[in-house]
Amino acid sequence: MKSFLYTLFICSILISCGSNEKKSAFEGEVMNEHPTAPVGTIPDQSIYMLTDSFQTQNNEKIILKQFAGKPTVIGMIFTHCDYACPRLTADIKNINKVLNAEEGKVNYVLISFDTERDTPDVLKKYADNLRLGNDYTLLHGSEEAVRTLSILLNVQFQKDAEGNFSHSNIISVLDKEGLLVSQKEGLEANHDLSIASLKGMLK
Amino acid sequence: MKYLLTILATAFLGVIYAQPKGVLSEKKMVPIPAGIYDPFFIKTSPVPIKVAAFKLDESAVTNLEYLEFVKANPQWRRSKVNRLFADSNYLRHWESDVSIGINNKDIYNSPVVHVSWFAAQAYAKWKNKRLPTVQEWERAGIAPPKDSKIKSVVDYIAKWYSIPSPKVLPNIKSTYENTYGLHDMHGLIWEWTFNFNSFIGTGDSRGNTEDEIKAFCAGGSINVKDKSDYAGYLRFSYRVSLKGNFCIANLGFRCAKDN
Repeated sequence: MKSFLYTLFICSILISCGSNEKKSAFEGEVMNEHPTAPVGTIPDQSIYMLTDSFQTQNNEKIILKQFAGKPTVIGMIFTHCDYACPRLTADIKNINKVLNAEEGKVNYVLISFDTERDTPDVLKKYADNLRLGNDYTLLHGSEEAVRTLSILLNVQFQKDAEGNFSHSNIISVLDKEGLLVSQKEGLEANHDLSIASLKGMLK
Repeated sequence: MKYLLTILATAFLGVIYAQPKGVLSEKKMVPIPAGIYDPFFIKTSPVPIKVAAFKLDESAVTNLEYLEFVKANPQWRRSKVNRLFADSNYLRHWESDVSIGINNKDIYNSPVVHVSWFAAQAYAKWKNKRLPTVQEWERAGIAPPKDSKIKSVVDYIAKWYSIPSPKVLPNIKSTYENTYGLHDMHGLIWEWTFNFNSFIGTGDSRGNTEDEIKAFCAGGSINVKDKSDYAGYLRFSYRVSLKGNFCIANLGFRCAKDN
């Protein structure tokens, strides 16, 4: 009888251990936490939380966070585009012109949808042809990085069978920390609000 | 002798209960052969798109499977997730950060929902997989049911769309299996795709973009491939209404992989 009770006792302990184990496997807390790396002073909602790397027209590796510290104007294009993109780029150049800020105060960033054809060299030629100055950065990235950025910036795009892209035309303004300040959709749209917010940030 | 038996019995029980219960078997992936995807909207893509062969999860990712990911990746716990990547509805149907809840037993093997695109994308990466593209998903989903009793897939889908979501989401493999061997492509949940933000044309279309004109001006319906495929039209409209951080009660995902 004594040993029977003993067995029962041991069994009950084991059963409770067993069910604990089940709990930890399915439901409980796990021990091996990997705390996420600190991201400096970048706020959670910043577009700069995207950590994928891109390549500039000068073949330099860059992450978006490196644009922090200045307000940034962003557009997404592809250089083989003969309809909307030249006009979108022209709109960004126009913002630059109207803003009339000193060189080095604002980032102008153009990101290509065309991860295959728009290599850094092709982007370099495009920048030279359009006489885009030192404040302009043209970015080439992986398909995943470009798609993720498009989702964060609410830009829709789709590649067709000929390798061209249908896309929405949106110019976004980010503040110095990468928070989305304003967005304007459409070609030759009125960018007064974007320009006003940029002016505010430059004061 | 009695003591020996006791020791043997306890050892035996110990072995039984020491078995890890939470290890889930790898999800089966189904090969989808290369083929043509005939775009739903003719004008946005004038030429049919070639889709290379790929592999697709046979069923949607379940709550239990997603729980393993959340445990291994604390930044994807409900209380820690960045709102940029998942809105406040993220995993709202779970009891807590790392517990689906014993009262929610019925959904352990149901598709995980209330997950954002970013979350689905992170899960797929963690599994060394990726999300399927719209083109891949539509190509895989068009295959007819194995069960020949289901005469019209379009009617089947339309019927599902017409009924409200059930209070308790059914388990995976509770609708039909198609001829590729894929379960629940229609009839259980909506699914995230890698490029869900592909289709151009928003509810707020003012014809500002070239492609809004292509897709909508002069009547979008004229450019639709198969006017009877109302279900297909709804899927495209649904996708375009999403944002990457949306977490919705009937939206989950399954993963794909290159061949």
